[in-house]
Amino acid sequence: MAERAAFGGRPVTRLRPGNDVAITEDHGIVYVAHLPGGPIVVLEGTAAAIWSEACGGERETIADRVAEAAGVVADEIRGDVDTFVASLVTRGLLA
Amino acid sequence: MNGSEVNVPRAVRLRFGHAAIQLVADSIGVDLLHIKGAAVDPSLRPGGYAGNDVDVLVRPAHVRALDVAMRRHGWRLYSTFEWGSPFGHAQTYMHDAWGFIDIHRFFPGIRLSPDRAFERLWGDSYSIRIAGFGCRVPSVPAQAVLLVLNAARSRTRAMSDVQVAWEEATPERRLEMRALVADLDAPVAFAAANGELERYRGERDFDLWRIASRGGSRSAEWWARVRAAPNLVAAARIVLRAPMVNVDHLSHRLGRPPTWGDILVEFFRRPAHALSEAWRSVRHSGAVR
Repeated sequence: MAERAAFGGRPVTRLRPGNDVAITEDHGIVYVAHLPGGPIVVLEGTAAAIWSEACGGERETIADRVAEAAGVVADEIRGDVDTFVASLVTRGLLA
Repeated sequence: MNGSEVNVPRAVRLRFGHAAIQLVADSIGVDLLHIKGAAVDPSLRPGGYAGNDVDVLVRPAHVRALDVAMRRHGWRLYSTFEWGSPFGHAQTYMHDAWGFIDIHRFFPGIRLSPDRAFERLWGDSYSIRIAGFGCRVPSVPAQAVLLVLNAARSRTRAMSDVQVAWEEATPERRLEMRALVADLDAPVAFAAANGELERYRGERDFDLWRIASRGGSRSAEWWARVRAAPNLVAAARIVLRAPMVNVDHLSHRLGRPPTWGDILVEFFRRPAHALSEAWRSVRHSGAVR
């Protein structure tokens, strides 16, 4: 379940892995899976970075933090990042 | 930027397997301990070997409930307690996503009753995180004992486990391990792995662990198993099972479920093979000239 809270008068959303989602990392690749049935989803490169940032701060700033880490302009990737995060939420991997 | 569902290393699958079986166990109130593989304390497996499957020791009274739940959640029975191994200690399941898992109802070499042995190990167990899920494991000295007992029936890589878990153990750790071996009544199997087996010549399971650790013919192993049985009923059960065909094994050898005809052929093939083996053994020992 995503947490919503007011911060400076602005509502923020924090995402976290679903309750039945297992996560493990191997050589910089993030693997996530619904338990107990799977399947395993492999997150490499930018996908792994987005997962990490999605679990580590406000949903509204994920693209900014990924852009900062990658040294690119946030607005150039915001659409793709938001779409990817939305897909993770739809699949129940993030809640 | 899409996540894919391919190219997953076995070690990763197995970590998920540990977490998955824990989730199922928690959902039905089953007690289990994760042993071997990813559950082993890094101090005992410096190389981090993850193994080929997931192994869990289940409270014996909970085995049936876990079996039912596992089948409901996509695990398929691969081999049974009855035929999976000569010890009858574990049942193997296969899951499309997580690979193989062995459900142990007892651990070979431990002569204490399975219920009491599990309780002893459960008593000082603790929780570690595997793939983000809390998984209960035996105490580190208990893990060391289980690795050594496991090595007693393996003549390959398990010897490195003996090296680390026993040969390189501190005197204090060795004392803890010996105390636990006494509690579990597992001296013979333990000695078979750490080189002290001769001290136990005369014990009913001496021959069994001598053969398990050093090798021997199948017929010699069978006789040793009969002698190691704790009582007449157990010995009679081993004798009565001897002529029966191991359907699990036959099925895996054929790559399909065996027909009645396959089973019948195997029924007559095995005694012939045993006689041939016995004959070779007699000739090899020089009794026939």
